[in-house]
Amino acid sequence: MALPNQGTVDYPSFKLVIVGDGGTGKTTFVKRHLTGEFEKKYEPTIGVEVHPLDFTTNCGKIRFYCWDTAGQEKFGGLRDGYYIHGQCAIIMFDVTSRLTYKNVPTWHRDLCRVCENIPIVLCGNKVDVKNRQVKAKQVTFHRKKNLQYYEISAKSNYNFEKPFLYLARKLAGDANIHFVEAVALKPPEVTFDLAMQQQHEAELAAAAAQPLPDDDDDLIE
Amino acid sequence: MDDLEKAILLASDSPAAAGASPAIREEALAFCARARDESPPSSLLRLCLSGLASSPHAHVHFWCLQSLHDALLRRRIALPDDLALLRSSLLSLASSSNAASPPFLRNKLAQLLSLLVRLDYPHVYPSYFLDLLPPSPPHSGPTDMFARVLISIDDDLLSQDYPRTADETADAGRVKDAMRAQCVPQIARHWHDAAGSLRALDPPTAAMALDAARRCISWIDVALVANDVFVPLLFDIALSPGTAAPLAAAAAGCLSAVAAKRMDARAKVALLRSLLSAQQGLGSPDSGLKMATLVTTYAAEALECYRKLGPGDADGAAALEMLEQVLPAVFSAAESAYDDDVDSGSVLDFLAGYVSTMKAPSEKQLGHLGRILEVVRQQMLYDPVYRGHLDVLDKIGKDEEDLMAEQRKDLVALFRNICKVAPAATQQFIKGLLVTALSSAEATVEDVEVTLTLFYRLGEIVGEEEIRTGTGLLGELVPMLLSARFPCHTHRLVALVYLETVTRYIKFMQENVQYVPHLLAAFLDERGIHHQNSIVSRRAGYLFMKAVKLLKAKLVPYLDTILQTLEDVLGQFTAMDWANKEAKFSSSEDGSQIFEAVGLLIGIEELSPEKQVQCLTALLNPLCHQIESLVVGAKTQGLEESSPRAMSLQQIVVALNMLTKGFNERLVMVSRPTIGVMFKKTLDVVLQILVSFPNVKPLRSKVISFLHRMIEILGISVLPCIPVALRQLLVDNEAKDMVEFLVLINQIICKFNSSASGILEDVFPTIASHLSVILSQDAFSTGPAGNTEEMRELQELQRTLYTFLHGMVTHDLSMILLAPTCTQYLETIMQLLLYTSCSHKDILLRKACVQIFIRLIKDWCTTSKADDKLPGFRVFMIEKFATGCCLYSVLDKSFNLRDANTLVLFGEIVMAQKIMYERFGEDFVVNFVAKGLPEAHCPPDLAEQYYQKLQGNDTKAFRSFYQSLIEKIRQQQNGSLVFR
Repeated sequence: MALPNQGTVDYPSFKLVIVGDGGTGKTTFVKRHLTGEFEKKYEPTIGVEVHPLDFTTNCGKIRFYCWDTAGQEKFGGLRDGYYIHGQCAIIMFDVTSRLTYKNVPTWHRDLCRVCENIPIVLCGNKVDVKNRQVKAKQVTFHRKKNLQYYEISAKSNYNFEKPFLYLARKLAGDANIHFVEAVALKPPEVTFDLAMQQQHEAELAAAAAQPLPDDDDDLIE
Repeated sequence: MDDLEKAILLASDSPAAAGASPAIREEALAFCARARDESPPSSLLRLCLSGLASSPHAHVHFWCLQSLHDALLRRRIALPDDLALLRSSLLSLASSSNAASPPFLRNKLAQLLSLLVRLDYPHVYPSYFLDLLPPSPPHSGPTDMFARVLISIDDDLLSQDYPRTADETADAGRVKDAMRAQCVPQIARHWHDAAGSLRALDPPTAAMALDAARRCISWIDVALVANDVFVPLLFDIALSPGTAAPLAAAAAGCLSAVAAKRMDARAKVALLRSLLSAQQGLGSPDSGLKMATLVTTYAAEALECYRKLGPGDADGAAALEMLEQVLPAVFSAAESAYDDDVDSGSVLDFLAGYVSTMKAPSEKQLGHLGRILEVVRQQMLYDPVYRGHLDVLDKIGKDEEDLMAEQRKDLVALFRNICKVAPAATQQFIKGLLVTALSSAEATVEDVEVTLTLFYRLGEIVGEEEIRTGTGLLGELVPMLLSARFPCHTHRLVALVYLETVTRYIKFMQENVQYVPHLLAAFLDERGIHHQNSIVSRRAGYLFMKAVKLLKAKLVPYLDTILQTLEDVLGQFTAMDWANKEAKFSSSEDGSQIFEAVGLLIGIEELSPEKQVQCLTALLNPLCHQIESLVVGAKTQGLEESSPRAMSLQQIVVALNMLTKGFNERLVMVSRPTIGVMFKKTLDVVLQILVSFPNVKPLRSKVISFLHRMIEILGISVLPCIPVALRQLLVDNEAKDMVEFLVLINQIICKFNSSASGILEDVFPTIASHLSVILSQDAFSTGPAGNTEEMRELQELQRTLYTFLHGMVTHDLSMILLAPTCTQYLETIMQLLLYTSCSHKDILLRKACVQIFIRLIKDWCTTSKADDKLPGFRVFMIEKFATGCCLYSVLDKSFNLRDANTLVLFGEIVMAQKIMYERFGEDFVVNFVAKGLPEAHCPPDLAEQYYQKLQGNDTKAFRSFYQSLIEKIRQQQNGSLVFR
């Protein structure tokens, strides 16, 4: 597969498309793997940026060409044109913003329209932030669509490798693949707060006692 | 077009773009954007149509379709002629579309067609569906395209899975109505034909058609699918071994949509029955594997019908029967839940719902419950991948533990419910697990962990009485647990849950003392306090302490064993290197609880006095010697706050403190005075630390804690040691330290009352000099300034000081204020008390001050002026306090008579007036009734009534009268009372 300005490599490589609302941390996420400073300021991505990310598995090296797409344009740019020939994908939302989760189905739909039957990971980013708006319990979309879900924190490197590992296993059709070398990541910038986690758990316990919302009520015909 | 084509290829991921520079690509992108945004709509339309017709490149086709979609969505293409051209071009493109063209192009075309449908079906163009509907027999290309259009309509307009605007909802209703009236039966027939004829020839296209059908079932007449022609075909496709997986899934998806169709419960029962009779094997485990979603949906729907109709209803009972018929399939679906295609969440929801309908489970249902327990166990298992991380509890291990805790919540709830409806079966299940775990050398960390976790959870549900007596299998299970040693016991997770579980069943030992040695071994050997992992051993220490508290006397026979076993651990706690190394465990579980446990054991009265002395000597002497030698060493070399020596001293004092928790004053001072002497000596040694190093504050705090304990258990005999201690504590005493100091003084006051007067007389001048400075600061201002750490410290200090003054006067020590060394502070203190009682923001402090005044009047004044202990106090009370606090502060609107605390304060203020009248008699009346009330504009008749009530014996009546009087004066002044 040809890629703009990227040398080809002699080991398996895959086009990975990263989508999700603007500001959910897609660029931050891919840049954790790379050289260069982590952007503290928020700079919207223009069009698309492609980052080659290498991982070493027990079966050899693997490269993901990560197509980091812009989250906010409605018109202009190539938008879903960039998804063409995508072989796997990550849909990102921000657990501190309900709206970004609400838009996940739309991203998924637009992605699947162009890339049928590719492995997709749903990532809830920013789980290090104290006031979560989308609790783990409320994330159910992946269950309906057979996606894998991971909670991540691009800032603390939490679960950074999990999405890539899942995709590598799916693409190789081998559930036993694992990464053998630690990926060079930037040092985490935040750490988890145990008290916060406990409070979070207590809230979840309370939520678990609630009946499940019946969101299909208005489907009666 | 050629230039545009080139630009599109350069901007995308086509081969042409690979060698292009970023600048060229950016330019190409800009060129495409101009072509899209700056051409007149009609030109853009024609440009795109020509691209679609002539370009060989998929990227170009995609760009053209996308641009047309944008233009249509933004209503840029709006002229009827343009729209007609677009429509006819697209429809012909769709009908000529061959299945070989890339799916993303066919989808993009479908997306564009679905937008046209949304915009002008049926009012502008009524025959989209009739045009697109493939003729029979259906061929791949048209069938695929038609299905994609339906799917796109569902995705972009009909489905409720996406956020929709009001316009979209209205359009969706219009489209569905028109389709129902026009073409839905034909479309359903087409699906059937396509599925039947293409399943072998072109499975992906057949799957596509059925996927479209699945999406429509919720809004079409269900009988078009749920009939004796279509349903058997769907089952056949879903279950035939030769069917490709996506097609089988699509067929099962249609059946699930049929089962989930919203309808009345009775109609639903009939529908479910028809599905079951169409496929007798629906409940087989094989169905569960192949059609997990269908069987789960089916079971959940049957459960819902059963709930709605009830067991007494024939249809309701039938629903339960059908549900149980498919249970084997549900179980196999649940057990394969690690498979990506199975939604374990909905399986679990159903199982929980099913269990909740049971009251007295039948034999058959008990069998089902056993299966459900196994499902629960499976889903609670940790992934072995994390074994190492969980043992050392690194970041990954912590995350995994949190995640699992989260995941287990619903499972535990389900387990609990099963346990409630079928306690015996649950215990049997646990027993099976435990026996397996114990008999297999290969039992993994994860298996053992989950077994113990479930056993622990069982203990939360069975009653205390059942644990005590070992009801059911517990009498067998608990001994098994106590003597259990797993090969993986070294693992942190296993060791911790083991100890927690043992603790959970500790009451069993109360009735079954023969197992006490086993229990002790579990806590004391390498499974507990001697575990290699310090997190485990500290936790074991804490849990052991709880065990001692609960079992106390039952452990006396084992005292020697316990002490011998703990000797090394007790020694380590105060060893210098240990103290330093482990200082990071500064939480409450710091390992000191083993001293508390030992103290509790030795402090038991069932122990002979000799034995007690012997044990205590063995513990106290080494610790005291350690202190002495550390202090000597430190005297020559100095003592840094965080030096190993200081840390070690701190640990020793903590250990001593914990040790004393097992003793009380009655034992130490009355029944076993020898012990009192021993503690007294220990106190002397500990105080050496304070004498030599009063400025090492963390150490000082520990010594203060120890002093608190000693005052508590040694009682009055501790008094001689106090003055020197207090003097040392006042060295380098900052605001924060003052609080600690005052808390100690307050304890002394409350414990010893007037016996403490000598001590108090000594320290009072020092406290008082601080007091006047501290209390005159405004610590309770509102606004951001009131919320800083310093402010909170000051507030706490002020409260403690008032508590101190209050404690002093209410514990017969008011004479201290009049002592020669203290009188110089009297004026300031009185002014502060007066000010606070009248206007402090904290109502509780105001109340305390009023109570202090009441007490002082009682202590210092009789009815005879000549006996007054403090000249001038009487006049101060009458002239300042009576009017200021009793009248004007109450008249102020901020004095909220609806607030509970304020009402209590009001009660005290009323009391104060009674006391003043009682002790000051006419002097009070003249000033308050004849002068104060009229000045506050109180009508003469009310003042007269006040005087009468004041004289009466009924305090309650006086109080309510005074309240009404205040309200009346307030009303009269309409809140504009001007204060002096």
